[in-house]
Amino acid sequence: MVTKSDTESVQIEIFPQRFLKPDTAQRLLEEIYRSGGILRIMIQGPNLPKSVPYGPGKGIPIEEHMNMLLELGDSALELRVKVGRIWLELESEEKIEGVKAACERVLPCTFTIKRKQLFHTKPTVSDYAKYGSEVEDKRILGLVDPKAKRERDLAILSDTGGDT
Amino acid sequence: MAYKPQYYPGTTSVGKNRRKHMSGDLEKLRDISDADVVTIMGHRAPGADYPSTHPPLAEMGEPDCPIRQIVTPTPGAAAGDRIRYSQFADSMYNAPAIPYFRSYWAAINCRGSDPGTLSGRQIVEARERDIEQYTKIMMDTEMCDPALATMRGCTVHGHSLRLDEDGMMFDMLARTELGSDGNVYYVKDQVGIPLDRKVNAGKPMSEAEAKKRTTIFRCDNVSFGGPCTADKRTLDEGLVTLHHMWERRSKWGFRPE
Repeated sequence: MVTKSDTESVQIEIFPQRFLKPDTAQRLLEEIYRSGGILRIMIQGPNLPKSVPYGPGKGIPIEEHMNMLLELGDSALELRVKVGRIWLELESEEKIEGVKAACERVLPCTFTIKRKQLFHTKPTVSDYAKYGSEVEDKRILGLVDPKAKRERDLAILSDTGGDT
Repeated sequence: MAYKPQYYPGTTSVGKNRRKHMSGDLEKLRDISDADVVTIMGHRAPGADYPSTHPPLAEMGEPDCPIRQIVTPTPGAAAGDRIRYSQFADSMYNAPAIPYFRSYWAAINCRGSDPGTLSGRQIVEARERDIEQYTKIMMDTEMCDPALATMRGCTVHGHSLRLDEDGMMFDMLARTELGSDGNVYYVKDQVGIPLDRKVNAGKPMSEAEAKKRTTIFRCDNVSFGGPCTADKRTLDEGLVTLHHMWERRSKWGFRPE
């Protein structure tokens, strides 16, 4: 996200009581994105492998996990996890209500929203190994795990998607 | 007076269910055909001959042994079948069975079986035709809720994770799916190899039914005795017994001389 703001940003965690289907995750992220004021989004959940990793069936493709795309704004990412947790960084505290309303509209289950410091602010050793001593854009810190591939798991969205 | 085994203490529904599992006095809830059970297990094609590791015992000429004369071999052992397994993962969200009680059930009720208990899954090994029979009992009775307990030979992840939106336990290999008719279908065998046809495993239990039949103590259902922070806890007899055992073991085990 590239939105800039003068107000102090806040970070929140959306934690649904159930894992979300890809369709639900897509709709939820669309609604959240539309409510505006998003600086960063991170989704997290258990891995959905593309093939059987162990046992006699090792290597057999898992068709159910193929071609799952998350489309948001003008970007698309391949969905590789079962969405169970969403971290957001918002422009300001006022934006939390919009996110909460989006969750109430879309989620078929109960959920909690907690405000706390989620993304780390200083580069870790893993960040040093991945990005070197100078991180160009500090917003990348904490967005992806050390093994993630930047071009595959990270998307920069324009700020034209939101209503506000 | 005839001896009546006392399997497990406690007056709660969980205590009663645990007694039912251990005694093998289980209610049959569905009927999955033998061929379907064999298909899900994936060790042999339904209707195929049983491969064997040794000739039938009757042809082998066993040594003169008093124990062999006392113990009748199971059908699988008598025929010389291979050892095969079935393994189940149970969700912590009020699945009917849990690994320990699957193992108690198998150890008490299934002759010639070798149960293995792990944190989120449980395996039973036995001769092939015996394990097929035992697995059918597990899948047909109240030990199983097809949404909350799945046969998973490998990549068993799911026990301690949240459920999916539709109430199914998370499965990394997508072995089961909830059909539009409300039944749970196996689309892959227990190790994730796709099946030629879907196998119907029956309807999932409602949330209330699962809470009633579970053998898991949970704070949001039947707890051991209320939250740990409560002023006064009324502990289940099972926990009192467990405390009693811990106390005695500690005192007897601690001998400073």
